[in-house]
Amino acid sequence: MSILHDFAVWLAHSPITAAVTARAWFVPEIQVVHIVAIAAVVISVTLINLRTFGLIDADEPQRAVVRRWLRVILVAVGVLAATGFLLIASEPGRALFRTVFWVKMGLIVLALTVTAAQGPTTPSFAARALAIVSLLLWVGVIFAGRWIAYAEGWPGAFS
Amino acid sequence: MSLDNIADTLSTTWLANELTDSTWLFGAVESIHVVALTLVFGSIALVDLRLLGLVDKHRDANVLIRRLLPLTWTGFVLAAITGTTLIFANPKGYFENFFFLGKLVVLALAGLNMLVFHFLVHRHVDTPGAIAPRVSGAISLVLWLTVVTFGRWIGFTI
Repeated sequence: MSILHDFAVWLAHSPITAAVTARAWFVPEIQVVHIVAIAAVVISVTLINLRTFGLIDADEPQRAVVRRWLRVILVAVGVLAATGFLLIASEPGRALFRTVFWVKMGLIVLALTVTAAQGPTTPSFAARALAIVSLLLWVGVIFAGRWIAYAEGWPGAFS
Repeated sequence: MSLDNIADTLSTTWLANELTDSTWLFGAVESIHVVALTLVFGSIALVDLRLLGLVDKHRDANVLIRRLLPLTWTGFVLAAITGTTLIFANPKGYFENFFFLGKLVVLALAGLNMLVFHFLVHRHVDTPGAIAPRVSGAISLVLWLTVVTFGRWIGFTI
């Protein structure tokens, strides 16, 4: 908590915060890039999960479908981490001090793990269960992300 | 009936009251809107990039379009329903917002581009070296990127 506070104070005085707040249109445009990268994750996850149920690309092995889209997901998550960091830098006292932000980070780790685990599975009840869990986790990530804007900050966490 | 009258009428509806009274309803509808719009943008961008010859060149573009279209429409219907719902929270604010009105115009242009593609360009998709599908894909990508950008700007200007 105190490390977090120190980090936020350092960030707030760093050139990164100065740069992203230099123009009013930087933050919305960074958010647009963030949303486009979310779109890459959403379409990839959707195609993987529909494949598990045999509803799309049934002429391709599940393993190949997961391998193709997992690569896209990993690149997109890299873009999301970079743009997410810049958005934190635009207001260092905000996201880091809201519980829902850390819930989001936890959900991302879980969702990535589940998606990666979908590759080796053969058509089975377990594979379909995994697909549903994956869908719920990724939708949870989006809800948690949107909720950063609405959640209360920890009292007196940052000034 | 002017746009102002319509806004006044909308703001006195049950839905408007629910959205402005609830601490979580607006955020929940917004979150579903994000899920829906990313599905729309993701599926369309995939087809556009294929038309531009930037991804999946070895895969048949027609197969890709046929498979992704149901996803695009599912996302679009969901985005339209949630988007219309969000208007009720502040009808006057949206109707007076440049980016909201601009978004509607660009959505209409994107729809027009889709019609042109469907009736004039689609049959040339597999023609080697055809330029029309590339132009279609580029226009679509720019228009949908503008839709997302305007949508995000509404939140900063309303």
